[in-house]
Amino acid sequence: MGSPVFVGIQRILVAFDASPHAEHALDVALSMAGDMKAKLFVLAVIRPPEPAESPEFHAVLEEGQERFERSFVPLRERARQKEIDLETEIVLGHPAEQIIHKAETMQASLIVMGKRSHTILHRWMLGSNSERVLRYAHCPVMIVH
Amino acid sequence: MTNTWALCALWVGLALAATLLAIWFKISTALSEIVVGTVAQLVIGVFLTGFFGFAQGGLAGNTQWITFLAGTGAIVLTFLAGAELDPAIFKTKWREASVIGLAGFFGPFLGCTAVAHYVLHWAIMPSWLCGVALSTTSVAVVYAVMLELGFNVTEYGKAILAACFINDLGTVIALGLIFSPFTIKTLIFVVVSIIVFVVLPFLTPRFFKKYGGRVSELEAKYLLFFLFAMGGLAVWAGSEAVLPAYMIGMVLAGTVGKDHSLIRRLRTLTFGLLTPFYFIRAGSFVSVPALMAAPVTLLVLFGAKSLFKAIAVYPAVRVHKYDGKAGAYYTLMMSTGLTFGTISALFGLNHQIITQAQYSYIVGAVIASAVIPTMIANSFFLPHHLLPHHQAGKKAEKEVMRPVPAEEG
Repeated sequence: MGSPVFVGIQRILVAFDASPHAEHALDVALSMAGDMKAKLFVLAVIRPPEPAESPEFHAVLEEGQERFERSFVPLRERARQKEIDLETEIVLGHPAEQIIHKAETMQASLIVMGKRSHTILHRWMLGSNSERVLRYAHCPVMIVH
Repeated sequence: MTNTWALCALWVGLALAATLLAIWFKISTALSEIVVGTVAQLVIGVFLTGFFGFAQGGLAGNTQWITFLAGTGAIVLTFLAGAELDPAIFKTKWREASVIGLAGFFGPFLGCTAVAHYVLHWAIMPSWLCGVALSTTSVAVVYAVMLELGFNVTEYGKAILAACFINDLGTVIALGLIFSPFTIKTLIFVVVSIIVFVVLPFLTPRFFKKYGGRVSELEAKYLLFFLFAMGGLAVWAGSEAVLPAYMIGMVLAGTVGKDHSLIRRLRTLTFGLLTPFYFIRAGSFVSVPALMAAPVTLLVLFGAKSLFKAIAVYPAVRVHKYDGKAGAYYTLMMSTGLTFGTISALFGLNHQIITQAQYSYIVGAVIASAVIPTMIANSFFLPHHLLPHHQAGKKAEKEVMRPVPAEEG
């Protein structure tokens, strides 16, 4: 059984971008879901370039879908071995918005996401997705370092 | 300029830098390449003239082989944009699409022409060109928004998407026909075009089925042949090569457009080699001193495009049952557009319809219209169901948990 702080967690949402940080967060979430018999939902967000221009947008969309689908194949196998109820979804949009929206619609008990090491300039220009999710999510958020 | 390879390395290096900037700042590569082209021309032209032998004319954007690569980039890019049309949607939604699309074209086209002529006191031909360049929309921007909000599967969403194609078709036809004198050459061009557009959808899939799928890339050569041939005919008739390219893309959307493998190979060719030359070249002709001398002109043009898009598109969208916020959101999205705007402006500059200063104002307004409406739409008009319901008041209820190591669990 997991730590008492995790009691009552039934639905875990993992924000996945196929980076090493996200893989690490996924490992943690898989472990937690296995311990707590929670349902695991993995959300991958394709972010379109702004302004989206044809045909670059379609190329980004296709490439993102294929990349995430490839990443989901071994993940599904791991979940099957651990007997974890797993669902995956690929959506398009701003990552923080989509994660928050998904967490609300699926009534997630916990959001798990990796922390990416952005530069100060990057954070100033674009903001950090994990910070935005932390600020606006309706449920607890776990940032895996 | 004597060192072709050094000049080529400079351009490809700039393309590489632009791509990295696009990745870092999550912006479109086209926008990044235009800005890099403008900055590079300014820096090289002012500070590095005379160095390395390739900087005498700044980026030397009018060198023949650069002009060829850039022109090919515009043609193939336009073809690919046309090939993204979904014929099934278009067939079922052509009435609504025509109303919204024609409103989206004629509103800013006539409005911006009037503003350029009567407010900025430009001559009539530069004013028409300005109207054409600022009449565009972006199919991709609207499609991205639809996917994000889930509207792409709704009837209204499909109609608006088809309307964007009509809007851009209006721009391309206006660009191809307004500035060409109507002569017997125009008539020959139109007749041959109609024959080709009718024959290609029947001929192409059969030809590809029989001879395609080989390493010799017959499909790419076949398409390039028709794009160049029709482009050549268009230019001979005094028109613009992107007009037949867009039309060929649209008529082949149901056949070639469905061949993902072929479209991908064309994209690689386009993004990897051709469009960087097109967009960097388009950016290199922007005169920063001209923009700084009269920034109000840029603001007037951008304001005119936004205003006339809103006046024309918003009522048309409302008629088709989008409520206030969603309607405003779509209107703003349809006010964007980068590729066809720069293609139109560059056509005007190359054909000496507009001056370099006018080109700079138009491209500046096009870039502003590509960026600012998206920012405003996302800040103020995002439809409610995507916004987080829990704001600052809920922050206190949240907690941040650290992962528990396995041995502790």
